[in-house]
This record gives sequence, C-alpha cells and structure tokens, in this order.
Amino acid sequence: MSVNKILIVDDEEIIVKVLSMSLRTDGYETIAAHSGEQGLEVFKSESPDIVVTDIKMPGMDGLELLKKIKEIDPEKEVIIVTGHGDIDSTITALQYGASDFINKPVRDEALAIALDRAKTKIDIRAKLKEYTENLEFKVAEATEEIRRKSNFQRLLIRSSNDAIVAFNHDWKVVVYNPEAATMFGEAAKDVRSKMTIDDLYTPQIAQIFKNQAKEEKQQNTLPWRENIIKTKDGRQIPVRYTSNVLYEKGEFVGTVNFFHNLTEIKRLEKELVQSERLAAVGQTVSGLAHYVKNILIGLQGGSYVVDVGIAKNNTEKFKTGWKTIKRNIKRVGDLTQDLLTYSKQREPEFEVCLPNDIVEDVIELVTDVAGSNDVLISKEYDNSIGEVMADSQTIHRSLLNLINNAIDACIEDEDISKNHKIKVKTYVGKDNYFCFEVKDNGCGMDKDIQKQLFDPMFSSKGGKGTGLGLLVTSKLIEEHNGVIETKTSPGEGSTFTIKLPYEKVN
Amino acid sequence: MSKKVLVVDDDPDVRSFVVTVLEENQYIPLIAQDGIEGFEMIEKEKPDLVILDVLMPRGSGIRLYRKLKTDESFNQIPIIMFTGIALRSFLKSQKALDEFKGGEVPEPDIYLEKPVKPEELVAAIKKKLD
Repeated sequence: MSVNKILIVDDEEIIVKVLSMSLRTDGYETIAAHSGEQGLEVFKSESPDIVVTDIKMPGMDGLELLKKIKEIDPEKEVIIVTGHGDIDSTITALQYGASDFINKPVRDEALAIALDRAKTKIDIRAKLKEYTENLEFKVAEATEEIRRKSNFQRLLIRSSNDAIVAFNHDWKVVVYNPEAATMFGEAAKDVRSKMTIDDLYTPQIAQIFKNQAKEEKQQNTLPWRENIIKTKDGRQIPVRYTSNVLYEKGEFVGTVNFFHNLTEIKRLEKELVQSERLAAVGQTVSGLAHYVKNILIGLQGGSYVVDVGIAKNNTEKFKTGWKTIKRNIKRVGDLTQDLLTYSKQREPEFEVCLPNDIVEDVIELVTDVAGSNDVLISKEYDNSIGEVMADSQTIHRSLLNLINNAIDACIEDEDISKNHKIKVKTYVGKDNYFCFEVKDNGCGMDKDIQKQLFDPMFSSKGGKGTGLGLLVTSKLIEEHNGVIETKTSPGEGSTFTIKLPYEKVN
Repeated sequence: MSKKVLVVDDDPDVRSFVVTVLEENQYIPLIAQDGIEGFEMIEKEKPDLVILDVLMPRGSGIRLYRKLKTDESFNQIPIIMFTGIALRSFLKSQKALDEFKGGEVPEPDIYLEKPVKPEELVAAIKKKLD
C-alpha cells in the first residue's frame, strides 16, 4: 500500500503552507485544515493515510483531534507537532496513540524521518494485515479439510459393520462405534474416555490384547481369530476378531480392535445342519419304506407258494413257501431290533468277559453262510488279552454285523477268480485299547459309498440290507467309548477295526 | 410241448415264487442264482424266455441283459425284467452304458417292478410266448 495522502492541521496558515509545499515536492498529496474541527471533517471526507497536527489550537486542539481520529480508525498514523518541553501533552498524546512527535519549529528532516517511520508502520501493518488475513484463510481451509477428513473417518468408523474399539496408551477407550455399543451392550457415552479395557472386556479377552501390545514391538496385525465374547450383561457372542497395536515414532500409542459378529453366520450354519438332518430323515424314511416293501414282496410271494401247496396238497411247496414267510418274519424282527437299538440310548452293561471267546461264538454262527458262498473265515487271537470288563452284547452284535458285511462284500465281488476269505483278528492296540479286526478281500468300496457308510438307511445291498447295520454298530461302539475305523479299496477289500477301552481283569 | 422259462434271481424267495407261478401255468422252470450262472444256463438250455433280476452279485442283470441283446445267437430270446429297481433308473444306467460302450441296446420287452401279482406275471409271460 502506498502512502501519498497527508492531512496537515495547524491554526497558523503559514506553517500549513510551508509544510504542504515541502511535502508536495517530496511527491505527497497534501490536504490542509486550520482547526481541529475542520481537520476532523476533512479526515472523514478524504481519509488521508497520515495526519500531521499541531497540538495547540483554539477550539478542538490536537489531542482532541487525535482522540477522535483514533476512535474512527485506530490504524491511522497521527504525528503530533508540539512546543518544546510540553511533556504533559506528549504523554497524553502517547496515551491516545500518537505515532510520533515533532518539535516546533518543524524542520524538514525531522518531518521526513517521522513520515518515513509512519509509512514503515503503515506498510508493516498492511503486510501484517495481509498475512493475518491470508493466514486466517489458510487456517480455515486446513481446518475445513481436517474437519472433512475426520468427519469422513468418523462416519467410516460409525458405519462399520464390525465393532471397532480403540484404546490409548493408558488403555482408555477412545474409539467405540455403534456396532461396538450393540455388541457390548454399553452406551457410547458411558464408555468413551470413561472405561478402560478391563471395564469393557472380560479378563480373558482383555489379556489377549494386552499381551499383544506387550509382545509386539512394532506395528503388527493379529491374524483373524474366533472366540466367544461374554458381555457384561451375560450374552455370549461368537466373533471373529483382530487387533492392531499402534505406534507413533516408535512409541506405543494404543490399540485398535475389530470384532465381526458371527451370530448370524452361526445361526445360518445351524439351520443348514438342521435342514441336512431333515433331509437325512427323509432319506431314512424312504430307505425304510424300500426295505419294508422288500419284506412285503417276500411275504406275498411266500403266501402264494403256501396257497398253491395247500390247494395241490403239495407238502414240498407248502414248506418252501413257509420258509419264505419265516425268513421275512425274521427280517421284520431284525429291522425292529435295529431300529430300537438305533433310537434308544443304551448304557453298556459291563461284565467280565473273554473277547476271544465272543469272536469264536460269532464265527461259529456265520460259518455255514460263509461256507455255502465259498468264503473262508480264518482267525488269529491275541491270548494276552485275557479277561476284560466290557459289554459282551456290544461286542457280539458289532462283530456279527461286521462279519456279515464282510461275507456280503465277498459275495458281491464281481471278480470270481479270487479265493474269497475273511480274517478276524484280536490284539492289544496302542493307547490302551483292545481291538477286533475284520478283514476281507471282497469288492471293497469306492469313495461315494465310504462317505455314506454310516448314514442312516444307506445300503449298497440293493434292498437286501436294512441300512442300519453299520449305524447300529457305530452307535454301540460309541456308547462303549470305543472307536470304529475303516480302510477300503475298491476291488481289493475292506478292513474294519473296532477299538474298545482295555480294562483288564486280573 | 411246454416252454422253458429261466429265472435269474439271487433271492431264493423270489425264485420259489416265480418257479411256483411257472409250474402252475405249465411252463418248465429253470433257475440261476446270478448273472454268470444265468448265461451258462441260457447257453446250455436255450430257454424260450428269461425272467431277469437287475441287482445281483457276480455279473449283474444289467450286464447279462446287454450281453444277450448284443449277441446274435441270443438276441431273439424275449426278456422280462423283474426287479425292485424303478424302470427310470434302469433306463438311465442303460443309456449311460450305451454312451460309454457305444452302440444302442433296445429297451426291455417287458419291465415288471416288484411287487408283482401272480396274474400279472402270467399275463406278461403269455404275451411273449403264446
């Protein structure tokens, strides 16, 4: 800003003239006034940059003028012309905000210096004003940018579907979004900057994050893990969570935790399991219907043959038909027993028994069937097993099922060049189990069959099996705290192993 | 002269039922317990009709059926499929085998799904033989 308009106020016309001339030659524009009142008028209408005024004037004096000018515009430079030694007026002028003083008589050099100083002040003030205005603008701009950014981040955190909780270096909560409030059941106003990690979390969860902060010496993200969060109001929420320890210039500044609520996912999973179970029930019923239909076919056929026998008085026919009927009655009995065993919870009845003897009994039962189908049964007993505490019925039924299956696997085998055989073995296994192994070299099973092996009503025997045999077997073994294992290869045969807890009787 | 009918089924109950039905209607019953025995009987006895189960051990009915239909010396023998397997499943397996082995095997003349009443069985046999 250039200074070029100067107001000169003095009641002595000659002084005004001389000063004006002198200033004009220096390139200033000058305006003159001859009294305080006139000076004020001119000041208002012309708005000069600098005012030079005599202090002693009739009417409104210089001090009064100074005061009025400063009231109108405190930034105007007013130079006071004083008489020599007028200390009191000078002090008053200073108090009113005069910029400078020149002694009378006014010398050009003194005026030039005072004007220069006033000009410099004006310049500085102008620059300062510019800087200030600029700075305000810059600050406003930056503030707005920060506000927008922080607002965006706040919205981001607020709207997150994950619960986000952050702690500062003192483990005080600093971030706690609405999802976190939903999850932990505490209102944000009661938590943010009020609670610590120990107030918000259960000790177990709090410890995980504290340990992480202790162990990680640099910024590091915990891999996603699953856990159940217990809230203070007693809810249990399954979550996936992760956490990040925050560092600023190597200093620990806090931790931020993210929790993903798995309740809905778990519910859907449960529903899926439930619907699979329902589908299994459907399969069970249709499998059962199929099996019952087969029994019915047998009974109808048998009764027809019996009818013919009666009509023709043919004892042979009568016997054949009756055999069919009896065989199918037995199938109904087996099915009923299997169904009951499967559906009822049964506690094993432990008693002293000799596993090897039970195997011997079972083999005796099946030898005829095996023999008539050209299947050879061999056995290998571990006599060190001795007497054990076990449920002999469980062992008996399970083995009978497995050996019958093995015989079927040999009969079903399409490779008739094989010498079909079944080996039944007993031994003491690892981890304190005594074991039964039934190994055949029959048809074996492919992956699909193997997968469905323990499904209810699944049968690979084309309506000739109840589809409950292995299911019942595995249930009996489980109730006995045992394990059943399968090894099989299509075309080469299968091995089933039953392992039961070994409790030897001395 | 009475005609010979071969029953191929692994279930003794089914065999005794069908044999009785055949005897009652003056046919000569022949029996086989599985696909392989069935084929041997056909070669030896040259039956006039075959009643064939589908699911059997040792050479299933599906295999025997294809063997007979693709062999010129046997493909004139009428076959009655007599089974617990639904026709749809049977045809599906045939189609899969057609695609796998090439060629096309004709659908069975008569397909009876168990349970079958004696009269139904007799009617089916008569349709083919009389």
